[in-house]
Amino acid sequence: MPTLIPTAATGARSVPATMTVVDPARTLPPEEQERFLAGTELNGPFVADLLSDMLAHERCGAQLYRSVAQRTNNPVLEERYRHFGEETVEHVAALERLITELGGDPAYVSPAARATEKAGTALLESTFLLGGSVDLMTLELVMLDAVLLAEAKDHANWSCLAAMVEDLPGGQVREALDAAVDEIEVQEDEHLRWAQDTRCRMISLQATSSPATSRSMKAEDVIARIKNLLT
Amino acid sequence: MAFNPLDQKGIAVPDQFRNWSELNTTPYDKHTVDPYTRTRVILMNGAEVESILFSHQFARHTDHPELKRALAEGRRADAQQQRAVNGLNPGEQTPLETTIGYEQVAVDLTSWLARHEPDPYLRQALDFALLEDFDHLYRYANLYELLHGGQADEITQHLTEITPGRPTFAEHRHPNDDIRRHFETHAVDPLSRLHVMTITAAEQQTMNFYMNHGADWIEPIARGLYAEISLVEEQHVTHYESLLDPLDSWIAQWVFHEYNEVYLYWSMLQQESDRRIKTMWELHCDMEIGQLQVACDFMRRLEGREPADLLPPALPEVPVTFEPNKDYVREVLATQVDLQADGLDFVPVRELPPDHRYFIYQKTVNAGGNPSEQVIDENRAHSGRDYRDETEGDHPITDLRHVHAS
Repeated sequence: MPTLIPTAATGARSVPATMTVVDPARTLPPEEQERFLAGTELNGPFVADLLSDMLAHERCGAQLYRSVAQRTNNPVLEERYRHFGEETVEHVAALERLITELGGDPAYVSPAARATEKAGTALLESTFLLGGSVDLMTLELVMLDAVLLAEAKDHANWSCLAAMVEDLPGGQVREALDAAVDEIEVQEDEHLRWAQDTRCRMISLQATSSPATSRSMKAEDVIARIKNLLT
Repeated sequence: MAFNPLDQKGIAVPDQFRNWSELNTTPYDKHTVDPYTRTRVILMNGAEVESILFSHQFARHTDHPELKRALAEGRRADAQQQRAVNGLNPGEQTPLETTIGYEQVAVDLTSWLARHEPDPYLRQALDFALLEDFDHLYRYANLYELLHGGQADEITQHLTEITPGRPTFAEHRHPNDDIRRHFETHAVDPLSRLHVMTITAAEQQTMNFYMNHGADWIEPIARGLYAEISLVEEQHVTHYESLLDPLDSWIAQWVFHEYNEVYLYWSMLQQESDRRIKTMWELHCDMEIGQLQVACDFMRRLEGREPADLLPPALPEVPVTFEPNKDYVREVLATQVDLQADGLDFVPVRELPPDHRYFIYQKTVNAGGNPSEQVIDENRAHSGRDYRDETEGDHPITDLRHVHAS
């Protein structure tokens, strides 16, 4: 089972920054950062931070999918959210394997990962903190918006990694990165395409429905309507 | 045996509300109370106030109806707990006597946390403020003798020494020098998180108490001393709250608050010598477990996260303990009294350049003299010496040893 929340108990380590202090016992030492991918054409410390960042994004994605799958009133969306959520957990596992294979530490939380997690947390919070001032139909769109935004970055991450791999000479590093990209990029394409298409369909359905019906409907009728959307 | 709050039943939040008689608790007897029972009451009052204020802040950042209702319910239960705990303080205990209790909390809580803190920077932050609160105890003890002829050791029962620390006049820093680095929320030892949350709550309550009770006095020296020290406490709140990682989500912060309250009540009940008050700690511990369950439920439902993955598998084995820390305080005094803050770091004051903002700020606020120095001068003139309770011998710093009135 991959680690979805890195903590001291799971061996999380980080690095000090201007405003961050990390217990020396839990700090990734500079020499270990420099050893990562040493002797390759890559900037090891940068790639370590990037992979940690991508891992943080996948972890946030897994939480987002689990959250929205529990809250949507639409069975089609629920099924997709659960399915993509499971795949996202697999992406977490794949990234952890990749980092380990490259000689890194999947428990390392880089400064870039922290920034990404802050964005992911806010994106997830945007789906419920204002839940009292959006109607149920809009809430479905808000959740789908969050998925789309998360998948857009996710897709960009893997596309970028794929492009980077193409420029690498052959060898163990390229093979490891290639394998991960091959395994995941297709799924990321599907996730993004689905989120874009589904959002567009939801918006079209809403845009072409009668304003009178959507404004005066009772909650249970709205839920029934949401359930039948996309079927 | 390991105590995991997530495995406990607790009391469901809707069953936690009490009637006015239950909240109007019988106070302890100030003459016979164990000084550390008084400090436990002060600490738990502060923990509840922090929890209530946090919940209000959270509620102002959401309109999610279920979340708002759950926050309101838990907050009301916490507000009732706070009234019950604070009601243990007797009316015959004057604000100044309570203040001496607050400083005993500050000294012995901070010392204990520092002694058990695994992270060196966080331990340094605790040691730094410890010497300032230690000095406040000395200043208030002198005010107590000057105004009432009281002996502060009758309140502290010689469990905590009373003697100068880092002199209060030297504690006034430019606000930019009260900000610290924060721990990293993933890598931090769970014990460190609990320590920082606990000391932040305690110092915030101390600030609140002083800034509100300063106006209770007629005597200008008392009003001035409360104004001066309450502003140092504001510095301490800035200092300690900066140690918390701002990365955590609102719900994660809620879960951590409830978890820390469970840890604190569980700690208090381990040591409580007053059976009646121990019963209250047990009741409140069960209530906090119930509140923790609600916060965890929202984490699962709204954040898709399993709280057991975020929280440690059990409470720390050692409860937060009120006990004498005299040797520790003396050691920190002997080695760190001359430290000051320069931005995020601690440095010997002699290393600050003469044009450092510390000295400019000092010149501004100390321009008309310091109530914290005046109270010592006046008590020396009145009592023939300053008030101290040095149970372990002379002050470890030669310059801070007894000066008799000339």
